[in-house]
Amino acid sequence: MSPTATPASTEYDPIRLEVFRNLFHSAAEEMGVALCRTAFSPNIKERRDYSCAIFDGAGRTVAQGDHMPVHLGSMPLSVSAAIEHTTMEPGDVVIVNDPFRGGTHLPDITLVQPVFINGDEVPAFYVANRAHHSDVGGMTPGSMPLATSIFQEGIRIPPIHLVRGGEMVADVLAIVLANVRTPREREGDLTAQIASNRTGQRRVEAIVAKYGLDEVTTYIAHLRTYAERMTREAIRRIPNGTYRFEDAMDDDGQGNGPLPIVVTITIDDDHARIDFAGTAPQAQGSINANYAITLSAVLYCFRVIVPFSIPANHGTLVPLEVVAPDGCLVNAREPSAMAAGNVETSQRIVDTVLGALAQAMPDVIPAASSGTMNNTTLGGTDLEGNEFAYYETVAGGMGARPKADGLDATHTHMTNSLNTPIEVLEHAYPFRVVRYEVRRGSGGAGRYRGGDGVRRDIELLVPAQLTILSDRRKTGPYGLAGGSPGRPGRNVIIGRDGEREIPGKVTEQLAAGDIISVRTPGGGGFGRADGG
Amino acid sequence: MGKTIVGIDTGGTFTDFVLMVDGELRVHKELSTPDNPAAAIVAGLDYLGIESDDLVHGSTVATNALLEQRGARTALVTTGGFEDVLEIGRQTRQAIYDLGVTKRLTLVAADDRYGVRERVGPRGEVIIALDAASLADVASRVAAGDYEAVAICLLHAYANPEHEREVRRALEAVYDGFITASHEVLPEFREYERTSTTVVNAYVGPVMQEYLGDLSDRMPDARIRVMQSNGGSISLSAAQRFPVQTVLSGPAGGVVGAVEMARLAGYPDTITFDMGGTSTDVSLCRGEPARTSESSVAGLPIRLPLIDIHTVGAGGGSIAYRDPGGALRVGPRSAGAMPGPICYGRGGAEITVTDANLLLGRLSARHVLSGGFELDPEPVAAAMNGLADDMGMSPLKLAEGVVSVANTTMAGAIRVISVERGFDPRDFSLLSFGGAGSMHAAALAADLGIPRVIVPPAAGILSALGMLLADIVRDYSQTVMHTTEGLDPQVLEAEFARLEATALAGFELDGVAASDLTMERSLDVRYVGQGYELEVPAGGDFAATFHAHHQRRYGYSDSGRATEIVNARLRVAAPTDKPSIPSRELQGSDAAAAVIDRHAMVFEGQRHDAALIDRELLCPGNVVQGPALIVEYSTTTVVPPGVRGEIDGFGNLIMEITK
Repeated sequence: MSPTATPASTEYDPIRLEVFRNLFHSAAEEMGVALCRTAFSPNIKERRDYSCAIFDGAGRTVAQGDHMPVHLGSMPLSVSAAIEHTTMEPGDVVIVNDPFRGGTHLPDITLVQPVFINGDEVPAFYVANRAHHSDVGGMTPGSMPLATSIFQEGIRIPPIHLVRGGEMVADVLAIVLANVRTPREREGDLTAQIASNRTGQRRVEAIVAKYGLDEVTTYIAHLRTYAERMTREAIRRIPNGTYRFEDAMDDDGQGNGPLPIVVTITIDDDHARIDFAGTAPQAQGSINANYAITLSAVLYCFRVIVPFSIPANHGTLVPLEVVAPDGCLVNAREPSAMAAGNVETSQRIVDTVLGALAQAMPDVIPAASSGTMNNTTLGGTDLEGNEFAYYETVAGGMGARPKADGLDATHTHMTNSLNTPIEVLEHAYPFRVVRYEVRRGSGGAGRYRGGDGVRRDIELLVPAQLTILSDRRKTGPYGLAGGSPGRPGRNVIIGRDGEREIPGKVTEQLAAGDIISVRTPGGGGFGRADGG
Repeated sequence: MGKTIVGIDTGGTFTDFVLMVDGELRVHKELSTPDNPAAAIVAGLDYLGIESDDLVHGSTVATNALLEQRGARTALVTTGGFEDVLEIGRQTRQAIYDLGVTKRLTLVAADDRYGVRERVGPRGEVIIALDAASLADVASRVAAGDYEAVAICLLHAYANPEHEREVRRALEAVYDGFITASHEVLPEFREYERTSTTVVNAYVGPVMQEYLGDLSDRMPDARIRVMQSNGGSISLSAAQRFPVQTVLSGPAGGVVGAVEMARLAGYPDTITFDMGGTSTDVSLCRGEPARTSESSVAGLPIRLPLIDIHTVGAGGGSIAYRDPGGALRVGPRSAGAMPGPICYGRGGAEITVTDANLLLGRLSARHVLSGGFELDPEPVAAAMNGLADDMGMSPLKLAEGVVSVANTTMAGAIRVISVERGFDPRDFSLLSFGGAGSMHAAALAADLGIPRVIVPPAAGILSALGMLLADIVRDYSQTVMHTTEGLDPQVLEAEFARLEATALAGFELDGVAASDLTMERSLDVRYVGQGYELEVPAGGDFAATFHAHHQRRYGYSDSGRATEIVNARLRVAAPTDKPSIPSRELQGSDAAAAVIDRHAMVFEGQRHDAALIDRELLCPGNVVQGPALIVEYSTTTVVPPGVRGEIDGFGNLIMEITK
């Protein structure tokens, strides 16, 4: 039986279904544990900016770990690209980070590995993991620059073999390592990623050995229709109608803005059309998102609005028709710059989609959360003469809920990455953190208060190049039902000559002794503060 | 009567006593007295008629204070500018796809957190001297603040504790409540985890001081030791200073007892499986329990070495339901003890794992707690019919489905502590204890390819037995942060010498002679730049050991890559007089004398006429051929068709699971 064949019967055993759901999900989770514990990038090991998933022979997601929501819909596109552009044999691993061939933004490197069963000629499964590397070259250390084209953002890797027949392809590795600032760390991360995929491979093989390929294939198909049913049920809970909402990115870091994101959601029983017509054209700066990112953000929204857990597999996509004009901010064309699309614009897509759904489900949808990941990158040379590249996201305030305050100082929506502990940071980098606190009063007022943002101040002990990609610096996250918006964020440099405000998206050289103070937005409030 | 050691486990319902009298284990159960747990202890000891004793006590006083948020009104003193570290935590939310996600527990509100002006760097260097005026101000505000406890946690205090000591001295001058500083509790880097551990210590400190003080007042002649989460015990006075070390001691006692029984049975490599009403604890033991220093309670990290116990939310009370996609789900929602499963007859209306077991004959309605608690199968059948109709299957198939879905969750938990740690469960035995575990153990073992299940005798008192058997153990650690390359061995030696001096001083306070101590040195090692460490023995070529561990656990290693030492660890144990559990002579294999009835059981849709066996009547050497149901006071064991069980000389039931 070919892995893509439709099962002979649509009859499924609800018990087996749950057993297989558990098995595949735990296999994906296990891949994540292996990756996180052995990686070298702080982004992977401390911040857990990675995702692991298992795919069927057609490249459709079977299960994805509960890792980064922003990778939800985008992982399968990496696998599809690997299938389309390469031929994978046993023991091969394909590497890709090109946002226009299955990637998201360049720092996210995805490794795809085929799983062959019983010596078959075509893979019955694929396993893949994606991890945010600390540096992939480009204009600035940390590879999150204020670019105007993808060529400035770092090394672009189309789907090619990194490992062939179990052996590292030395030429490919050499090219990759020659183009990054911290090659030894990159090599370690790639090794960890390969090991993680091997873990996934072993688990999939064990599942097949126990249940047989036919049974497994049959239940993968059942799991797909199961997720589809769940998603349809989620859509059915939204009243039929057309809901339109508009939000905006402050700017693109090149002086253009605000840049509107417009969504029109049409709910028709158990089908939803999510159309981004009216959204700004792709930007000159690096805030462009590709379709994969937009799809991930939409999927996230439909997963969170229902009180049951929809498994993350291909079936969830079926009832959702996501349409975005070619060449717009949320479906950008080559060779636009993409670094911040994944981390910033993805959050605004969520704000926009949830804003529209709030009209349909006013008792469910929260006010806007901080809506930015406050990406802060510092790079330079430390006192021992070693190059360093530090990248971190900073949490903000959560939007107030219809029946509860928003949480303070927490990552929301498309990310849940950890902070780097101060004591770890100060061992690893020539920095001194001088303040790390909740930004009191930044949450929007309301019957329920928006969560407060964060203030994180870092003093440089050596000169360094700073790059910040942040948003919600001009307008605050929206409130709902009469609640006030959260306070916009601020980026401030505290130097010898006092304080000065810097833009939301900025790159500049700082001196030793300068303090970079990132103050993140609070969440919007819900309901009128006077209770009316 | 001579010196007697008594293990005492205070549980929610019963306080268990285990002691050795004339070479025989003696067991006693006393109803717990939750308002004052010491009362049940005194009553039980009176009943047993023993005086002047060594007591090893496992208490949930600290755990409950934490879980029910009934701990001390606590202040926290931090480095100025970092008062919110405790609140921000790791800046993540506890559930990614839940818009209703709730706030993590912080224990100390913003108004009760005080910053002092000072700063120490990562190498212990003083960057800003402790500001006297700022300290005086904080001390006076804390003194005026009506606090029962104060935690102190300054940045990089693990590298240089002098500022924390100065803060402590300043507070002691004006305040006489409970004070604890992070370098005393956990001198390791990562400020949030250290702060959290220290704050928990302060939060449960006064409650434990009072409780243990009361206990020793009532028994002035007893030598009382307290069970810790690391599987060892500590003196009463140490427990009063470091109560955080007891917070996860409940499950630890059970694992220590279980490992001992497994060792006696001849199977030291064991996975322990403790399934209760709402959750299941599993741990992996290779001769001794695996340890970890990553754990949390109620979302608060506690970074102390403890037995690596993994908990999942599946137990006898887990509720079964049909989800909107049509799959059968079980848990994590639980019916708990109230209203409990439908068959308890306390108003529970949702089908639980226990109900499914009852319907399948894997639990006998008349033999729970020796018949003291009768189960009602009738409403179970009605509810099962209803859900089975909805799902288009027979009630018996549904019941078996509920059990197998629950088993899938538990198998996942076992995989976490075995496969994910680089061990193959097929190389282990499964030791089952806890009220619900032995109904599932054989099926679970078969599922995982585990060849053998051990059900110890009196599984309900295994925790108390573990306490009886626990050595006095204290763990010491210190963050070192040094690359292995170019490391002067004297530097490491000096770190260990300091840890040993601290340990000796601590044990001397407790009246333990240095000559009685065994010391075990280990190191937390990682590749330079990694975020997680592996603990390896400090002796010999520890780097080579690290590469081998890394290979085993993660499937690769790179001996060309530089390694670094993160923490030095010292485990100091004072062996205690352990009673040896006697082996009895094997009788014949015939178990007929223990068969008290016939009993209908269902396996794979087939009804079987099975033997109903009283565990108490089984003798060493007796063989039980499945299908059979073995009942005893606190648990029920299912012996599936084709499985053979045998009682060994220690009273363990050993089931061989053939494929």
